[in-house]
Amino acid sequence: MLKVIATTAKTSFSRSLPAFSTCTTRLAGEIDPTCRKEAPKIDSDTVTALPEEAKEKMVYECTICVPTKVDLSPITGVPEEHVKTRRVRIYQPPKNAMQSGTNNIHHWEMEFDNRQRWENPLMGWTSTGDPLSNLKLEFTSPNEAIEHCEKNGWSWYVDVPKIEKEFRPKNYGLNFSWNRRTRVSTK
Amino acid sequence: MCGMKPVCKIVKPLLTTNYYDAHVRVIGLYKAYYRFIPYLLRRFDIPKSEEDCRWKLREMFYKNACVTDIRVIDMLVIKGFMNLKEMTNNWQQKGHVIANWNPSIENKPCDFVGKFLAGVD
Amino acid sequence: MLRQPLSKALALSPCARLAPVTGRRYAQVQAQPEKVEVFIDDKPVYVLPGTTVLQAAALVGVEIPRFCYHERLAVAGNCRMCLVEVEKSPKPVAACAMPVMKGMRVKTTSDLTRKAREGVMEFLLVNHPLDCPICDQGGECDLQDQSMAFGSDKSRFTDIHFSGKRAVEDKDVGPLIKTVMTRCIHCTRCIRFASEVAGIDDLGTTGRGTDMQVGTYVEKMFLSELSGNVIDLCPVGALTSKPYSFAARPWETRRIDSIDVLDPLGSNIVVATRTNEVLRILPRTNEEINEEWLADKSRFACDGLKRQRLVTPMVADSRGNLTPVEWEDAIVAAAQAIRDCPPEKLVAVAGEMADAEALVSLKDLVNRLGGEHVYTEQSFPLAGAGTDLRSSYLFNTKIANVEESDFVLLIGTNVRFEAPLLNARLRKAFIHKETDVALIGPNVDLTYEYMHVGDSASIVKELASGTSNHEVLKRLQSAKRPVLILGADQLKTPEGAALLAYTQELALKLQGKLEDKEWKVLNVLQRNASQVAALDMGYKPGVTADALKNAKVVYLLGADGGQVTRESLPKDCVVIYQGHHGDRGASIADVVFPGAAYTEKRATFVNAEGRPQQTLVAVTPPGKAREDWKIIRALSEVVGAGLPYDTMDEVRERLADVSPTLVCYGEVQDNNYFAQAQALTQALHCYFAIKRRLISPECIPLLYGALSDEGHPVVVLRAALSDPVSM
Repeated sequence: MLKVIATTAKTSFSRSLPAFSTCTTRLAGEIDPTCRKEAPKIDSDTVTALPEEAKEKMVYECTICVPTKVDLSPITGVPEEHVKTRRVRIYQPPKNAMQSGTNNIHHWEMEFDNRQRWENPLMGWTSTGDPLSNLKLEFTSPNEAIEHCEKNGWSWYVDVPKIEKEFRPKNYGLNFSWNRRTRVSTK
Repeated sequence: MCGMKPVCKIVKPLLTTNYYDAHVRVIGLYKAYYRFIPYLLRRFDIPKSEEDCRWKLREMFYKNACVTDIRVIDMLVIKGFMNLKEMTNNWQQKGHVIANWNPSIENKPCDFVGKFLAGVD
Repeated sequence: MLRQPLSKALALSPCARLAPVTGRRYAQVQAQPEKVEVFIDDKPVYVLPGTTVLQAAALVGVEIPRFCYHERLAVAGNCRMCLVEVEKSPKPVAACAMPVMKGMRVKTTSDLTRKAREGVMEFLLVNHPLDCPICDQGGECDLQDQSMAFGSDKSRFTDIHFSGKRAVEDKDVGPLIKTVMTRCIHCTRCIRFASEVAGIDDLGTTGRGTDMQVGTYVEKMFLSELSGNVIDLCPVGALTSKPYSFAARPWETRRIDSIDVLDPLGSNIVVATRTNEVLRILPRTNEEINEEWLADKSRFACDGLKRQRLVTPMVADSRGNLTPVEWEDAIVAAAQAIRDCPPEKLVAVAGEMADAEALVSLKDLVNRLGGEHVYTEQSFPLAGAGTDLRSSYLFNTKIANVEESDFVLLIGTNVRFEAPLLNARLRKAFIHKETDVALIGPNVDLTYEYMHVGDSASIVKELASGTSNHEVLKRLQSAKRPVLILGADQLKTPEGAALLAYTQELALKLQGKLEDKEWKVLNVLQRNASQVAALDMGYKPGVTADALKNAKVVYLLGADGGQVTRESLPKDCVVIYQGHHGDRGASIADVVFPGAAYTEKRATFVNAEGRPQQTLVAVTPPGKAREDWKIIRALSEVVGAGLPYDTMDEVRERLADVSPTLVCYGEVQDNNYFAQAQALTQALHCYFAIKRRLISPECIPLLYGALSDEGHPVVVLRAALSDPVSM
């Protein structure tokens, strides 16, 4: 006990402390008064607010604890049919085989199962009754996409492309190597 | 990342901070609708009785009975009040009100063979 | 430990002292060489010595523009588009061919680099026609994109007033590739692809400078089973797809990732559709199966999906003519026949493109009715272990691992025709990993050199018993990672059982001696996309004449292989055909159910390795056609033996019940019962002399080989080929 007083006495607020304490729990249980540097500031708006306003303000300022798993399907306005019967595919868009560039494929996308399409008898355009057929969302990671699907109540599956390939240093000289099968005859 | 996912998270509330307050609001909304039913029938010429409307009201509320997230409950209550306001202010017409009963929608077959023959997914 | 005096250490025998040193040296050779640090745009990256600047840049996500460079082809270094500035280097260097040096500082966005690219771009465009609006590559053209990104904003090209732009006569290289040679920028990707990957050394250049031309020297077809890939490789519109020419722009099409079912490998594809029509099929990268190539059959067969389709249910009328009816009538007619049929006389035959969901529904239906006769068209010997052990009918080594092999023995298979992309892998291993290949069977052109052991099946017996004195036995025994590939077509002969047994014995003997215990030696290369799934489910391979002789109802699930004919069936037998093309099966049918083709349904297919993959719906089935499993499910209810699944997820659960491997999409489960399979075969004493020559699998190495519609073994292709306009 003496030790405690000895250490606290070194602080500049030692005068405000009792000379000695009879109860060890007191120091531990209460907020250390040495941390409180000045009286709390009272906002004039808070003081003059009506009780309802104060309550509302309190709601805005406080936080609540909710389960991590959120289901937004009752309030998204998506028809129930399109929540329960749809399947979402989460995938990385494949590289276009016709091009070398890979700039816009480093993300994850989600798309819905493909529903019926038919030819419009008037104009010959293709019609669909599926409001989600053109919805394509981009995500930076599959986890984000999964979270989004679960929030909306869609069942999902992840398609992981097999694109990791073994790194092999390329060598211009192999074209001309005399003892390898990589030697080329024509150019 | 370890396999354990946190069960709860801290978020900002919408209207209420606990279930009790949320429940009070839901009951308030229910009562507001309930009391509006006679006026609704007088204002919109729809072929439904008060009893029908009360059943529909019950049905609408029970549809979301399993919602537990306070924020979702709050949002549903807000949407409910918006809808009520639309009706009291005559922003909704007869067709909008009767649409709650879906009278014009043809029921799709729900057994497998029926769906198969109709060619619906 | 006590220190020993130096003299004592020196007194040790030289061998004892040297041994650890040499050991260490060996280990050093095996270990990865030390990585060197280079800086790409001031970002440090550690790479193996010998790596090119372009590869090092790719590792930190910096993409250097290129035309001639392609990851899977040799370095050419002739387009100069990848010029970058390297600090302390007097001139910009070609990143694709320049190996990294320690501490090299590469600047990919500096003024010098930009100026170099702009210059290259200007030269390329001098002789490139401005016909983007009528060019099929428009919208997915590397030259278009890169001229926007790196080209100059103004032109200094005045030569148009004098000599004009260079013009080159178009080449005719066959019915699949359209050439507009004026657009060629001489990147030589097609030449390198042809000589390295396809193994057809036909393409090359003539002339120099402005007179340089890419072509085949003399006019001839580019006869390769992988020829379509040069369309993808071409960075400009010089080589485009002939069937797809002027059909659509890339931004108008929807692209759906799917799986190809025309060969047993299950290549990954992208199906491009518009207006509910499949316009073209492109490969999708999957390192474990097709890398980024696609066989011509898979690429160009989509034309067949629009022709000769079954679009409405049909029932044979009193005169035996098939007449279109409603689904109710067709299902009732079929159900009537099935209900009147005693279960032991109900025979189901699955064809080459049946998906796993339809297969499991059909088998469940037959079993529920009390029948057992479910067959596939492709046969497999049932002696010994038969199809009970998965390892005896799979491609166990896995396609990608073939590259790791050091000796491959092909037994009675023309890989180039049966699985072109596997052949491309073998060729890759042959060139880059010095793998040697030997072949027992007809002497066919596999595009690489191989040791031809002979074409008699008895050679396998001699190899298995160790009595052969052919060099191939020594090579097999000394190989660290040998691979045996047995063509499934050889197994349909009466001697197939013996051939399989001897191959199993040989494989087991080789496997026993391997250091690498995980390495699988035995492979059976199936011929179609449905066989593995069917065998996994317990279908009996190969429909027998006995089963057909007594049949009262035959249910053909896309069985167009010609195994079931009217002659092989009793007079009063009712044939129900379900499938997507009006072909051999439908022509003998009494009831026809129109099914969906592989681009029109979400379905599971298991490839030769045993890897399940799923196709996705790209277009809606035409007319009244329905997804296959749904047809069987609906029929089952009318027959009175309703199947207990209503949704796709429930069918997949059923699949998982039958075999969990069927729903592990994209994964291959290892199979290890080689010894047991061999022991079972041995127990049956089915060893008998095999003297026959191996039958040659239909030697149609190429798509054009069979321009008659009857000849081609794949139904979709028969449909495509039957209409000469389409080709």
